[in-house]
Amino acid sequence: MKADVLIIGAGPAGLTAAYEVAKTGLCVLIIDEHQQAGGQLWQQSQILALPDIFPNMRGFELAQFLVERLEGLAVEWLLGHRVIGVYEDGQIGVTNDKDVFPVFAEKIIIATGAAENAIPFPKWTLPGVMTIGAAQSVVNRDRVKPGSSAVIYGDNSFASDVCELLLSVEVNIVAIVKQNKQLGNSTFGDMNIPLYENSSIIEARGNGKLEEIDIQTPHGMITLKPDIVLIDGGQSPILDIVYQLDCALRYQAELGGWLPVYNHQLQTSKDHVYVTGNATGVSNHSALILTGMLAAASVCEALQSLPPEETEVVRNSLYSKLENEEESDTFSARKEHIKQFSTPQLKDQFIS
Amino acid sequence: MDKSVIVCRCEEISYEEIEEVITQGGRTFDDIKRITRCGMGACQSKICSKLVAEVIHKQTELSMEQIYPPRFRMPISPVSLEALATDSQQFSTVKSVLDEIELTDGKVK
Amino acid sequence: MHIKEHPILGEQLNKPITIYLNEQPLEAYDNQSIAGALMANNVKKLGQSRKLVQARGMFCSKGRCCSCYMTVDGEDHVKTCMRKVRDGMKISEGLEDPELRRDIDEG
Repeated sequence: MKADVLIIGAGPAGLTAAYEVAKTGLCVLIIDEHQQAGGQLWQQSQILALPDIFPNMRGFELAQFLVERLEGLAVEWLLGHRVIGVYEDGQIGVTNDKDVFPVFAEKIIIATGAAENAIPFPKWTLPGVMTIGAAQSVVNRDRVKPGSSAVIYGDNSFASDVCELLLSVEVNIVAIVKQNKQLGNSTFGDMNIPLYENSSIIEARGNGKLEEIDIQTPHGMITLKPDIVLIDGGQSPILDIVYQLDCALRYQAELGGWLPVYNHQLQTSKDHVYVTGNATGVSNHSALILTGMLAAASVCEALQSLPPEETEVVRNSLYSKLENEEESDTFSARKEHIKQFSTPQLKDQFIS
Repeated sequence: MDKSVIVCRCEEISYEEIEEVITQGGRTFDDIKRITRCGMGACQSKICSKLVAEVIHKQTELSMEQIYPPRFRMPISPVSLEALATDSQQFSTVKSVLDEIELTDGKVK
Repeated sequence: MHIKEHPILGEQLNKPITIYLNEQPLEAYDNQSIAGALMANNVKKLGQSRKLVQARGMFCSKGRCCSCYMTVDGEDHVKTCMRKVRDGMKISEGLEDPELRRDIDEG
Protein backbone atom coordinates (compact mmCIF):
# COMPACT_ATOMS: atom_id res chain seq x y z
CA MET A 1 0.00 0.00 0.00
CA LYS A 2 1.21 3.50 -0.86
CA ALA A 3 0.40 7.11 -0.06
CA ASP A 4 2.10 10.49 -0.22
CA VAL A 5 1.53 10.98 3.48
CA LEU A 6 0.79 8.38 6.13
CA ILE A 7 -0.87 9.65 9.30
CA ILE A 8 -0.71 7.36 12.32
CA GLY A 9 -3.58 8.15 14.69
CA ALA A 10 -7.01 9.56 13.82
CA GLY A 11 -7.49 11.82 16.84
CA PRO A 12 -7.91 15.61 16.65
CA ALA A 13 -4.28 16.27 15.61
CA GLY A 14 -4.16 13.50 13.00
CA LEU A 15 -7.52 14.43 11.46
CA THR A 16 -6.56 18.11 11.34
CA ALA A 17 -3.25 17.28 9.66
CA ALA A 18 -5.08 15.01 7.19
CA TYR A 19 -7.36 17.83 6.12
CA GLU A 20 -4.59 20.37 5.71
CA VAL A 21 -2.45 17.94 3.70
CA ALA A 22 -5.26 16.50 1.56
CA LYS A 23 -6.64 19.90 0.57
CA THR A 24 -3.34 20.70 -1.20
CA GLY A 25 -3.98 17.68 -3.44
CA LEU A 26 -1.71 15.13 -1.78
CA CYS A 27 -2.93 11.61 -1.14
CA VAL A 28 -3.31 10.79 2.55
CA LEU A 29 -3.63 7.46 4.32
CA ILE A 30 -4.85 7.45 7.93
CA ILE A 31 -4.36 4.49 10.25
CA ASP A 32 -6.15 4.07 13.55
CA GLU A 33 -6.64 1.18 15.92
CA HIS A 34 -10.32 2.01 16.42
CA GLN A 35 -13.07 1.29 13.92
CA GLN A 36 -14.23 4.88 14.22
CA ALA A 37 -12.06 7.94 13.54
CA GLY A 38 -11.92 10.67 16.20
CA GLY A 39 -9.74 9.09 18.87
CA GLN A 40 -10.45 10.09 22.45
CA LEU A 41 -12.74 12.91 21.27
CA TRP A 42 -15.66 10.49 21.20
CA GLN A 43 -15.50 10.08 24.95
CA GLN A 44 -15.08 13.81 25.64
CA SER A 45 -18.46 15.30 26.43
CA GLN A 46 -17.04 18.53 27.86
CA ILE A 47 -16.95 21.79 25.88
CA LEU A 48 -13.45 22.30 24.49
CA ALA A 49 -11.57 25.55 24.10
CA LEU A 50 -10.47 25.60 20.47
CA PRO A 51 -8.51 27.99 18.22
CA ASP A 52 -10.59 30.92 16.97
CA ILE A 53 -11.01 29.31 13.53
CA PHE A 54 -13.46 26.88 15.19
CA PRO A 55 -16.56 27.57 17.26
CA ASN A 56 -16.32 26.04 20.73
CA MET A 57 -17.87 22.60 20.79
CA ARG A 58 -17.91 19.37 22.73
CA GLY A 59 -15.35 16.63 22.04
CA PHE A 60 -17.67 14.29 20.16
CA GLU A 61 -18.98 17.18 18.07
CA LEU A 62 -15.42 18.08 17.09
CA ALA A 63 -14.77 14.45 16.10
CA GLN A 64 -17.80 14.50 13.83
CA PHE A 65 -16.77 17.84 12.34
CA LEU A 66 -13.18 16.79 11.66
CA VAL A 67 -14.24 13.52 10.03
CA GLU A 68 -16.96 15.07 7.88
CA ARG A 69 -14.56 17.76 6.70
CA LEU A 70 -12.48 15.05 4.98
CA GLU A 71 -15.30 13.90 2.70
CA GLY A 72 -14.47 14.37 -0.96
CA LEU A 73 -10.72 14.69 -0.34
CA ALA A 74 -8.08 12.14 -1.35
CA VAL A 75 -8.08 10.39 2.02
CA GLU A 76 -7.87 6.65 2.45
CA TRP A 77 -8.68 5.00 5.77
CA LEU A 78 -7.22 2.01 7.51
CA LEU A 79 -9.50 1.93 10.54
CA GLY A 80 -9.29 -1.06 12.86
CA HIS A 81 -5.62 -1.33 11.88
CA ARG A 82 -2.55 -1.07 14.08
CA VAL A 83 1.05 -0.23 13.31
CA ILE A 84 3.13 -2.98 14.84
CA GLY A 85 6.61 -2.13 13.61
CA VAL A 86 8.89 -0.90 10.89
CA TYR A 87 10.48 -2.93 8.10
CA GLU A 88 14.17 -2.74 7.38
CA ASP A 89 13.50 -0.72 4.21
CA GLY A 90 11.51 1.86 6.20
CA GLN A 91 8.04 0.63 5.30
CA ILE A 92 5.53 0.56 8.11
CA GLY A 93 4.16 -2.80 9.24
CA VAL A 94 0.40 -2.70 9.69
CA THR A 95 -1.99 -5.37 10.90
CA ASN A 96 -5.75 -5.81 10.97
CA ASP A 97 -5.28 -8.95 13.09
CA LYS A 98 -5.66 -11.14 10.00
CA ASP A 99 -2.71 -10.05 7.88
CA VAL A 100 0.41 -7.99 8.38
CA PHE A 101 1.33 -5.83 5.43
CA PRO A 102 3.75 -3.02 4.57
CA VAL A 103 2.73 0.56 3.87
CA PHE A 104 5.01 2.96 2.03
CA ALA A 105 4.68 6.72 2.32
CA GLU A 106 6.91 9.64 1.34
CA LYS A 107 6.23 11.30 4.69
CA ILE A 108 4.87 10.03 7.97
CA ILE A 109 3.00 12.16 10.50
CA ILE A 110 2.84 10.63 13.96
CA ALA A 111 -0.32 11.60 15.82
CA THR A 112 -0.48 8.82 18.39
CA GLY A 113 -1.24 11.14 21.29
CA ALA A 114 -0.60 10.54 24.94
CA ALA A 115 -1.44 7.84 27.46
CA GLU A 116 -2.41 8.18 31.10
CA ASN A 117 0.17 7.63 33.82
CA ALA A 118 -0.49 5.38 36.77
CA ILE A 119 -0.06 6.01 40.51
CA PRO A 120 0.59 2.67 42.22
CA PHE A 121 -0.42 1.71 45.76
CA PRO A 122 -0.75 -1.71 47.39
CA LYS A 123 -3.51 -3.70 45.62
CA TRP A 124 -4.02 -1.12 42.87
CA THR A 125 -4.40 -4.14 40.62
CA LEU A 126 -7.84 -4.92 42.10
CA PRO A 127 -10.80 -4.69 39.70
CA GLY A 128 -12.44 -1.32 40.34
CA VAL A 129 -9.17 0.61 40.31
CA MET A 130 -8.83 2.25 36.90
CA THR A 131 -7.61 5.41 35.24
CA ILE A 132 -9.88 8.44 35.25
CA GLY A 133 -9.91 8.34 31.44
CA ALA A 134 -11.20 4.78 31.62
CA ALA A 135 -14.15 5.92 33.73
CA GLN A 136 -14.87 8.67 31.23
CA SER A 137 -14.82 6.27 28.32
CA VAL A 138 -17.07 3.76 30.11
CA VAL A 139 -19.67 6.49 30.69
CA ASN A 140 -19.48 8.22 27.32
CA ARG A 141 -18.52 5.44 24.95
CA ASP A 142 -20.20 2.42 26.51
CA ARG A 143 -22.99 4.34 28.32
CA VAL A 144 -22.33 2.42 31.49
CA LYS A 145 -21.94 3.53 35.11
CA PRO A 146 -18.48 2.37 36.18
CA GLY A 147 -19.56 2.14 39.83
CA SER A 148 -21.77 3.76 42.41
CA SER A 149 -19.22 5.55 44.59
CA ALA A 150 -15.83 6.82 43.47
CA VAL A 151 -12.61 8.18 44.93
CA ILE A 152 -10.47 10.23 42.54
CA TYR A 153 -6.74 10.00 43.17
CA GLY A 154 -4.26 12.38 41.59
CA ASP A 155 -3.01 15.85 41.05
CA ASN A 156 -4.36 16.79 37.68
CA SER A 157 -6.93 19.25 36.47
CA PHE A 158 -8.61 16.73 34.22
CA ALA A 159 -10.54 15.61 37.31
CA SER A 160 -13.06 18.45 37.39
CA ASP A 161 -14.58 17.65 33.96
CA VAL A 162 -14.87 14.00 34.84
CA CYS A 163 -16.30 14.83 38.31
CA GLU A 164 -19.13 16.75 36.66
CA LEU A 165 -19.72 13.93 34.23
CA LEU A 166 -19.82 11.26 36.95
CA LEU A 167 -22.16 13.31 39.13
CA SER A 168 -24.46 13.82 36.15
CA VAL A 169 -24.88 10.06 35.78
CA GLU A 170 -25.37 9.66 39.53
CA VAL A 171 -22.02 8.26 40.52
CA ASN A 172 -21.36 9.50 44.03
CA ILE A 173 -17.87 11.00 44.48
CA VAL A 174 -16.80 10.16 48.01
CA ALA A 175 -13.50 12.03 48.02
CA ILE A 176 -10.70 13.52 45.96
CA VAL A 177 -7.24 12.59 47.21
CA LYS A 178 -4.27 14.68 46.10
CA GLN A 179 -0.66 13.92 46.93
CA ASN A 180 0.52 17.51 46.77
CA LYS A 181 -0.60 20.50 48.75
CA GLN A 182 -2.27 23.29 46.85
CA LEU A 183 -4.80 25.62 48.33
CA GLY A 184 -5.57 24.00 51.64
CA ASN A 185 -9.23 23.70 50.68
CA SER A 186 -11.31 21.00 52.27
CA THR A 187 -13.79 20.66 49.43
CA PHE A 188 -13.35 20.45 45.68
CA GLY A 189 -14.61 23.32 43.51
CA ASP A 190 -18.24 24.20 44.06
CA MET A 191 -19.26 20.56 44.02
CA ASN A 192 -18.90 20.09 47.75
CA ILE A 193 -16.75 16.97 47.43
CA PRO A 194 -14.38 16.26 50.37
CA LEU A 195 -10.80 17.01 49.31
CA TYR A 196 -7.76 15.48 51.00
CA GLU A 197 -4.53 17.23 50.07
CA ASN A 198 -1.02 16.17 50.96
CA SER A 199 -2.53 12.71 51.29
CA SER A 200 -2.12 9.34 49.66
CA ILE A 201 -3.88 6.02 49.33
CA ILE A 202 -1.76 3.61 51.31
CA GLU A 203 -3.70 0.42 50.70
CA ALA A 204 -6.71 -0.98 48.87
CA ARG A 205 -8.52 -4.10 49.98
CA GLY A 206 -11.19 -6.36 48.58
CA ASN A 207 -12.08 -9.89 47.71
CA GLY A 208 -11.99 -10.12 43.92
CA LYS A 209 -12.83 -6.43 43.60
CA LEU A 210 -12.19 -3.13 45.34
CA GLU A 211 -14.06 -2.82 48.64
CA GLU A 212 -12.18 -0.31 50.77
CA ILE A 213 -9.15 1.95 50.86
CA ASP A 214 -6.97 3.49 53.56
CA ILE A 215 -5.93 7.10 53.04
CA GLN A 216 -3.10 8.69 54.97
CA THR A 217 -3.97 12.35 55.55
CA PRO A 218 -2.04 15.00 57.51
CA HIS A 219 -4.67 14.54 60.22
CA GLY A 220 -4.45 10.78 60.49
CA MET A 221 -5.63 7.73 58.61
CA ILE A 222 -9.14 7.30 57.27
CA THR A 223 -10.86 4.34 55.66
CA LEU A 224 -13.39 4.79 52.85
CA LYS A 225 -15.51 2.25 51.01
CA PRO A 226 -15.75 3.32 47.35
CA ASP A 227 -16.35 0.69 44.68
CA ILE A 228 -14.11 2.48 42.20
CA VAL A 229 -10.84 4.42 42.51
CA LEU A 230 -10.02 6.61 39.52
CA ILE A 231 -6.33 7.36 39.07
CA ASP A 232 -5.53 10.78 37.61
CA GLY A 233 -1.78 10.60 37.09
CA GLY A 234 -1.51 12.97 34.15
CA GLN A 235 -0.42 11.94 30.66
CA SER A 236 2.77 11.21 28.77
CA PRO A 237 3.37 11.10 25.01
CA ILE A 238 3.11 7.60 23.53
CA LEU A 239 6.57 6.58 22.35
CA ASP A 240 6.10 3.13 20.80
CA ILE A 241 6.11 4.19 17.18
CA VAL A 242 8.66 7.01 17.33
CA TYR A 243 10.99 4.62 19.12
CA GLN A 244 10.50 1.96 16.42
CA LEU A 245 11.20 4.56 13.75
CA ASP A 246 14.49 5.26 15.51
CA CYS A 247 13.62 8.91 16.14
CA ALA A 248 15.97 10.52 18.68
CA LEU A 249 14.43 11.39 22.05
CA ARG A 250 14.80 14.00 24.78
CA TYR A 251 13.32 14.32 28.24
CA GLN A 252 11.17 17.38 28.86
CA ALA A 253 9.27 17.12 32.15
CA GLU A 254 6.89 19.97 31.34
CA LEU A 255 5.80 18.23 28.10
CA GLY A 256 5.11 14.89 29.78
CA GLY A 257 8.53 13.18 29.91
CA TRP A 258 10.37 11.46 27.06
CA LEU A 259 9.40 12.55 23.59
CA PRO A 260 10.93 12.72 20.11
CA VAL A 261 13.13 15.72 19.38
CA TYR A 262 11.62 17.93 16.70
CA ASN A 263 12.51 21.17 14.95
CA HIS A 264 10.50 24.28 14.06
CA GLN A 265 8.86 22.24 11.26
CA LEU A 266 7.79 19.54 13.78
CA GLN A 267 10.15 17.26 11.88
CA THR A 268 11.90 14.57 13.95
CA SER A 269 15.53 13.42 13.64
CA LYS A 270 14.33 11.20 10.78
CA ASP A 271 13.78 13.52 7.82
CA HIS A 272 10.60 11.85 6.61
CA VAL A 273 8.93 11.61 10.03
CA TYR A 274 6.93 14.47 11.58
CA VAL A 275 5.04 14.64 14.88
CA THR A 276 1.90 16.42 15.96
CA GLY A 277 -0.60 16.71 18.80
CA ASN A 278 0.10 15.27 22.23
CA ALA A 279 2.99 13.30 20.71
CA THR A 280 4.82 16.67 20.61
CA GLY A 281 4.13 17.21 24.31
CA VAL A 282 0.98 16.98 26.38
CA SER A 283 -1.09 20.14 25.96
CA ASN A 284 -4.66 21.40 25.45
CA HIS A 285 -7.10 20.87 22.57
CA SER A 286 -6.12 24.12 20.85
CA ALA A 287 -2.54 22.91 20.70
CA LEU A 288 -3.64 19.58 19.20
CA ILE A 289 -5.35 21.39 16.34
CA LEU A 290 -2.60 23.99 15.83
CA THR A 291 0.25 21.45 15.86
CA GLY A 292 -1.81 19.34 13.45
CA MET A 293 -1.84 22.31 11.07
CA LEU A 294 1.85 23.02 11.70
CA ALA A 295 3.01 19.49 10.89
CA ALA A 296 0.77 19.45 7.82
CA ALA A 297 2.18 22.75 6.54
CA SER A 298 5.74 21.47 6.87
CA VAL A 299 4.93 18.19 5.12
CA CYS A 300 3.22 20.08 2.28
CA GLU A 301 6.25 22.33 1.97
CA ALA A 302 8.59 19.32 1.81
CA LEU A 303 6.43 17.66 -0.84
CA GLN A 304 6.12 20.95 -2.73
CA SER A 305 2.36 21.24 -2.55
CA LEU A 306 2.80 24.55 -0.71
CA PRO A 307 5.36 27.18 -1.77
CA PRO A 308 8.03 27.88 0.89
CA GLU A 309 7.19 31.61 1.29
CA GLU A 310 3.52 30.85 1.87
CA THR A 311 4.38 28.05 4.31
CA GLU A 312 6.56 30.38 6.33
CA VAL A 313 3.69 32.86 6.69
CA VAL A 314 1.29 30.09 7.69
CA ARG A 315 3.77 28.68 10.17
CA ASN A 316 4.48 32.01 11.81
CA SER A 317 0.81 32.72 12.25
CA LEU A 318 0.22 29.23 13.73
CA TYR A 319 3.08 29.64 16.19
CA SER A 320 1.76 32.99 17.38
CA LYS A 321 -1.71 31.44 17.87
CA LEU A 322 -0.08 28.55 19.74
CA GLU A 323 1.73 30.97 22.01
CA ASN A 324 -1.61 32.58 22.88
CA GLU A 325 -3.63 29.45 23.35
CA GLU A 326 -1.20 27.11 25.07
CA GLU A 327 -0.27 27.37 28.78
CA SER A 328 2.79 29.59 28.92
CA ASP A 329 4.89 26.94 30.73
CA THR A 330 4.03 24.41 28.05
CA PHE A 331 4.87 26.82 25.24
CA SER A 332 8.22 27.75 26.82
CA ALA A 333 9.06 24.07 27.25
CA ARG A 334 8.15 23.47 23.62
CA LYS A 335 10.42 26.32 22.49
CA GLU A 336 13.24 24.90 24.62
CA HIS A 337 12.61 21.42 23.19
CA ILE A 338 12.84 22.78 19.63
CA LYS A 339 16.05 24.61 20.54
CA GLN A 340 17.58 21.34 21.76
CA PHE A 341 16.70 19.54 18.51
CA SER A 342 20.30 18.74 17.63
CA THR A 343 21.24 17.51 21.13
CA PRO A 344 19.04 14.49 21.82
CA GLN A 345 19.66 12.43 24.96
CA LEU A 346 18.80 9.11 23.34
CA LYS A 347 19.54 8.25 19.71
CA ASP A 348 20.44 5.26 17.53
CA GLN A 349 18.62 3.11 20.07
CA PHE A 350 18.78 0.00 17.89
CA ILE A 351 22.56 0.08 17.49
CA SER A 352 24.05 -1.79 20.41
CA MET B 1 6.16 3.79 49.25
CA ASP B 2 5.14 0.37 50.59
CA LYS B 3 7.77 -2.15 49.40
CA SER B 4 5.20 -4.79 48.52
CA VAL B 5 3.45 -2.64 45.91
CA ILE B 6 3.30 -4.20 42.45
CA VAL B 7 5.03 -1.91 39.94
CA CYS B 8 4.84 -4.12 36.83
CA ARG B 9 1.23 -5.33 36.67
CA CYS B 10 1.81 -7.94 33.96
CA GLU B 11 4.78 -9.81 35.42
CA GLU B 12 3.83 -8.82 38.99
CA ILE B 13 7.19 -7.38 39.98
CA SER B 14 7.23 -5.51 43.29
CA TYR B 15 8.96 -2.31 44.36
CA GLU B 16 11.17 -4.46 46.59
CA GLU B 17 12.37 -6.64 43.69
CA ILE B 18 13.26 -3.54 41.65
CA GLU B 19 15.02 -1.98 44.62
CA GLU B 20 17.06 -5.18 45.03
CA VAL B 21 18.38 -4.92 41.45
CA ILE B 22 19.31 -1.29 42.05
CA THR B 23 21.16 -2.30 45.24
CA GLN B 24 23.13 -4.75 43.11
CA GLY B 25 24.13 -1.95 40.73
CA GLY B 26 21.25 -1.88 38.25
CA ARG B 27 20.82 1.61 36.84
CA THR B 28 18.60 1.28 33.75
CA PHE B 29 15.16 -0.07 33.00
CA ASP B 30 16.78 -2.72 30.85
CA ASP B 31 19.01 -3.85 33.76
CA ILE B 32 15.90 -4.35 35.86
CA LYS B 33 14.09 -6.00 32.99
CA ARG B 34 16.85 -8.55 32.37
CA ILE B 35 17.01 -9.61 36.00
CA THR B 36 13.34 -9.53 37.05
CA ARG B 37 11.25 -9.77 33.83
CA CYS B 38 9.77 -6.39 34.78
CA GLY B 39 8.21 -4.92 31.62
CA MET B 40 8.34 -8.19 29.69
CA GLY B 41 4.67 -9.11 30.03
CA ALA B 42 1.67 -8.55 27.82
CA CYS B 43 1.73 -4.75 27.88
CA GLN B 44 5.48 -4.58 27.16
CA SER B 45 6.18 -1.88 29.78
CA LYS B 46 3.53 0.55 28.52
CA ILE B 47 2.22 1.03 32.07
CA CYS B 48 5.34 0.49 34.21
CA SER B 49 8.12 2.27 32.28
CA LYS B 50 7.52 5.59 33.98
CA LEU B 51 6.94 3.96 37.40
CA VAL B 52 10.22 2.05 37.21
CA ALA B 53 12.05 5.25 36.20
CA GLU B 54 10.62 6.90 39.32
CA VAL B 55 11.92 4.06 41.51
CA ILE B 56 15.40 4.33 39.95
CA HIS B 57 15.27 8.11 40.38
CA LYS B 58 14.35 7.78 44.07
CA GLN B 59 16.97 5.14 44.83
CA THR B 60 19.93 6.59 42.93
CA GLU B 61 21.50 9.93 42.17
CA LEU B 62 20.16 9.74 38.61
CA SER B 63 17.84 12.46 37.33
CA MET B 64 14.79 11.50 35.24
CA GLU B 65 16.51 12.53 31.99
CA GLN B 66 19.37 10.14 32.74
CA ILE B 67 16.97 7.20 32.97
CA TYR B 68 16.21 6.09 29.42
CA PRO B 69 12.92 4.48 28.49
CA PRO B 70 13.09 0.71 27.89
CA ARG B 71 13.53 -0.66 24.40
CA PHE B 72 10.28 -1.01 22.50
CA ARG B 73 10.54 -3.97 20.20
CA MET B 74 8.35 -5.20 17.44
CA PRO B 75 5.46 -5.97 17.60
CA ILE B 76 4.58 -2.87 19.57
CA SER B 77 1.19 -4.26 20.58
CA PRO B 78 0.12 -7.91 20.90
CA VAL B 79 -0.69 -9.64 17.62
CA SER B 80 -1.47 -13.29 17.06
CA LEU B 81 1.21 -15.53 15.57
CA GLU B 82 -1.36 -16.51 12.98
CA ALA B 83 -1.57 -12.92 11.75
CA LEU B 84 2.21 -12.48 11.89
CA ALA B 85 2.77 -15.65 9.91
CA THR B 86 0.59 -14.53 7.00
CA ASP B 87 1.27 -17.01 4.25
CA SER B 88 1.77 -14.60 1.42
CA GLN B 89 4.46 -13.74 -1.09
CA GLN B 90 3.56 -10.10 -0.95
CA PHE B 91 3.25 -9.80 2.82
CA SER B 92 6.78 -10.59 3.96
CA THR B 93 5.88 -10.88 7.59
CA VAL B 94 8.49 -13.23 9.00
CA LYS B 95 10.99 -10.46 8.38
CA SER B 96 8.92 -8.13 10.49
CA VAL B 97 9.36 -10.28 13.57
CA LEU B 98 12.85 -11.61 13.03
CA ASP B 99 14.56 -8.82 11.19
CA GLU B 100 17.79 -10.78 10.95
CA ILE B 101 16.12 -13.08 8.44
CA GLU B 102 16.69 -11.86 4.91
CA LEU B 103 13.94 -12.45 2.42
CA THR B 104 14.21 -12.72 -1.34
CA ASP B 105 10.94 -12.82 -3.24
CA GLY B 106 9.09 -13.52 -0.03
CA LYS B 107 11.26 -16.56 0.81
CA VAL B 108 14.02 -16.92 3.37
CA LYS B 109 17.41 -16.70 1.63
CA MET C 1 -25.82 -0.20 35.23
CA HIS C 2 -26.55 0.82 31.64
CA ILE C 3 -27.10 4.55 31.20
CA LYS C 4 -30.26 4.75 29.11
CA GLU C 5 -30.53 8.53 29.14
CA HIS C 6 -27.15 10.21 29.00
CA PRO C 7 -27.46 13.82 30.24
CA ILE C 8 -25.35 15.23 27.40
CA LEU C 9 -25.13 12.59 24.72
CA GLY C 10 -28.79 11.58 24.84
CA GLU C 11 -30.05 8.13 23.99
CA GLN C 12 -27.89 5.55 22.33
CA LEU C 13 -28.58 2.16 23.85
CA ASN C 14 -31.32 1.10 21.48
CA LYS C 15 -30.33 -2.34 20.29
CA PRO C 16 -30.33 -4.83 23.18
CA ILE C 17 -28.41 -8.06 22.69
CA THR C 18 -27.45 -11.02 24.86
CA ILE C 19 -23.93 -12.04 25.74
CA TYR C 20 -22.92 -15.07 27.82
CA LEU C 21 -20.44 -14.99 30.66
CA ASN C 22 -19.67 -18.60 31.62
CA GLU C 23 -23.00 -19.59 29.99
CA GLN C 24 -24.93 -17.05 32.06
CA PRO C 25 -26.93 -14.66 29.83
CA LEU C 26 -26.33 -10.94 30.38
CA GLU C 27 -27.94 -7.88 28.83
CA ALA C 28 -25.73 -5.74 26.64
CA TYR C 29 -26.24 -3.17 23.90
CA ASP C 30 -24.87 -2.99 20.40
CA ASN C 31 -21.69 -0.92 20.17
CA GLN C 32 -20.60 -1.42 23.79
CA SER C 33 -17.18 -2.84 24.55
CA ILE C 34 -17.19 -6.24 26.23
CA ALA C 35 -15.58 -4.82 29.37
CA GLY C 36 -18.12 -1.98 29.48
CA ALA C 37 -21.09 -4.32 29.00
CA LEU C 38 -19.82 -6.58 31.79
CA MET C 39 -19.34 -3.59 34.07
CA ALA C 40 -22.99 -2.64 33.44
CA ASN C 41 -23.89 -6.08 34.78
CA ASN C 42 -21.76 -5.44 37.85
CA VAL C 43 -19.00 -7.79 36.67
CA LYS C 44 -15.69 -6.08 37.43
CA LYS C 45 -13.38 -9.07 37.73
CA LEU C 46 -12.46 -10.06 34.19
CA GLY C 47 -9.67 -12.50 34.86
CA GLN C 48 -6.68 -13.52 36.90
CA SER C 49 -3.09 -12.35 36.90
CA ARG C 50 -0.49 -14.59 35.33
CA LYS C 51 1.75 -15.32 38.27
CA LEU C 52 0.05 -14.53 41.57
CA VAL C 53 -3.42 -15.54 40.31
CA GLN C 54 -5.13 -12.40 41.56
CA ALA C 55 -8.31 -10.73 40.32
CA ARG C 56 -7.93 -8.30 37.43
CA GLY C 57 -10.33 -5.92 35.74
CA MET C 58 -10.30 -3.12 33.22
CA PHE C 59 -7.65 -0.52 33.98
CA CYS C 60 -6.71 1.77 31.06
CA SER C 61 -9.62 1.16 28.64
CA LYS C 62 -7.33 2.13 25.75
CA GLY C 63 -6.00 -1.27 24.72
CA ARG C 64 -2.62 -0.71 26.31
CA CYS C 65 -2.45 -2.34 29.74
CA CYS C 66 -3.83 -5.81 28.82
CA SER C 67 -5.44 -6.00 32.27
CA CYS C 68 -8.84 -6.80 30.71
CA TYR C 69 -7.79 -9.96 28.86
CA MET C 70 -10.60 -12.54 28.58
CA THR C 71 -11.42 -15.55 26.44
CA VAL C 72 -14.00 -14.60 23.81
CA ASP C 73 -15.60 -17.17 21.52
CA GLY C 74 -12.68 -19.49 22.12
CA GLU C 75 -10.00 -16.84 21.49
CA ASP C 76 -7.67 -16.29 24.46
CA HIS C 77 -6.18 -12.94 25.49
CA VAL C 78 -8.76 -10.68 23.90
CA LYS C 79 -8.56 -7.05 25.03
CA THR C 80 -12.16 -6.67 26.12
CA CYS C 81 -11.95 -2.87 26.41
CA MET C 82 -11.37 -2.69 22.66
CA ARG C 83 -13.56 -5.51 21.32
CA LYS C 84 -17.25 -4.75 20.77
CA VAL C 85 -20.00 -7.09 21.97
CA ARG C 86 -21.92 -9.22 19.47
CA ASP C 87 -25.22 -11.02 20.03
CA GLY C 88 -24.63 -14.51 21.40
CA MET C 89 -20.97 -13.87 22.23
CA LYS C 90 -19.49 -16.41 24.67
CA ILE C 91 -17.09 -14.96 27.20
CA SER C 92 -15.07 -16.47 30.03
CA GLU C 93 -12.46 -15.15 32.42
CA GLY C 94 -8.84 -14.74 31.39
CA LEU C 95 -6.84 -17.37 33.27
CA GLU C 96 -3.39 -17.45 34.77
CA ASP C 97 -0.46 -19.05 32.92
CA PRO C 98 -0.80 -22.80 32.48
CA GLU C 99 1.58 -24.86 34.58
CA LEU C 100 3.64 -26.22 31.74
CA ARG C 101 5.94 -28.25 33.94
CA ARG C 102 3.02 -30.08 35.52
CA ASP C 103 1.52 -30.74 32.11
CA ILE C 104 4.82 -32.16 30.91
CA ASP C 105 5.28 -34.30 34.04
CA GLU C 106 1.77 -35.69 33.78
CA GLY C 107 1.88 -36.02 30.00
